[in-house]
Amino acid sequence: MLFPVPEKKGQMEMIGLVIIVILISLGMLFMAQFALKEEPLKKVFARQGLATSALSTLMKTTVQETGCLSETSAQINLRLDRHLLKDCAQYSAEAPQGFSQYHCQGKHSCQFLEELVGKLLAQTLGTWGKQYEFHSTLQLSGGSSRELFSINPGLCEKKERDSSKPYLFPTDAGMVSSELFICS
Amino acid sequence: MKNKKAQLHMTETIAVIFIFFILVVFGMIFYAQYQKVAFKEKQEEILSTRAVQTTLRALYLSELICSQGEAEPEDNCIDLIKAEAVQAIFQKYLSNYYFHLFGYGRLTLHEVYPQEKELVLYEKRRVENLANESTFMMVSLRDDRLSVGTEPSYAYGYLLVEVYS
Repeated sequence: MLFPVPEKKGQMEMIGLVIIVILISLGMLFMAQFALKEEPLKKVFARQGLATSALSTLMKTTVQETGCLSETSAQINLRLDRHLLKDCAQYSAEAPQGFSQYHCQGKHSCQFLEELVGKLLAQTLGTWGKQYEFHSTLQLSGGSSRELFSINPGLCEKKERDSSKPYLFPTDAGMVSSELFICS
Repeated sequence: MKNKKAQLHMTETIAVIFIFFILVVFGMIFYAQYQKVAFKEKQEEILSTRAVQTTLRALYLSELICSQGEAEPEDNCIDLIKAEAVQAIFQKYLSNYYFHLFGYGRLTLHEVYPQEKELVLYEKRRVENLANESTFMMVSLRDDRLSVGTEPSYAYGYLLVEVYS
């Protein structure tokens, strides 16, 4: 048959319509593939690994500043967690002007820690263009808690972020929990 | 009259086929562009994976990690005494061992606090590097020469791992 009969014309238009629908579906599937792409391994590793390593490195650091120890006390390597953070937790009620056992650069240990931690994070994470938030909290007996110090509070709250997981350190005053968030 | 109708039908068919082929050509161009981008992304992903693997290898390398006799090695910690001595060993056994571990790349140790200094541990460059991927990992730098009593000294630093394609 040289020319299609009128009844077949309707069928052919239907086939055309079906082809258009198939093409649109393929296009949408293609777009969905882009949209649902997984976050690259490197990005996840970089944020999680960096947050964990940054906090553990920070806590282990030996502080070398003038005036931390009195002249009469025995010379020791002052660790940020074991000595200064513990001291800050114990005398946090008297911060920032009151008594603390260690007075690095003439400052209360909580004030000194806030400045030092802020400086170290800024020199590393800050210069690499990472956004971060740090909190150090004292969990008091009875369920209440007191913030010892924090860096960039609230910066990562509503963003996609990765946590270092809390770094817990027991002291006589209570449990000190420190956590670092990296968001970008 | 019948001839004219057939001609009209032919023109319509040719127009539909023409538009169809234009769409196919557009699709092919789009797909080729996508493939080009996907290929580049895949290359970057391979380089990123290599950067991650190199970082982990460097962090857990017994030639660098902080250890104390038979005790468990410390995570995220590099022994400065080992690091200062390891450059010569990396250089000596570069082609028959360390190149297989790190490939084309550069490992640099940076101390941020209390002093600012850097130490290049490993470096192997190609004549022409096509791309470069950097990974930072924070590390404690233990120095037993500065120990007071049994308490070692830990500096705050980071390991910069750059891999070249």
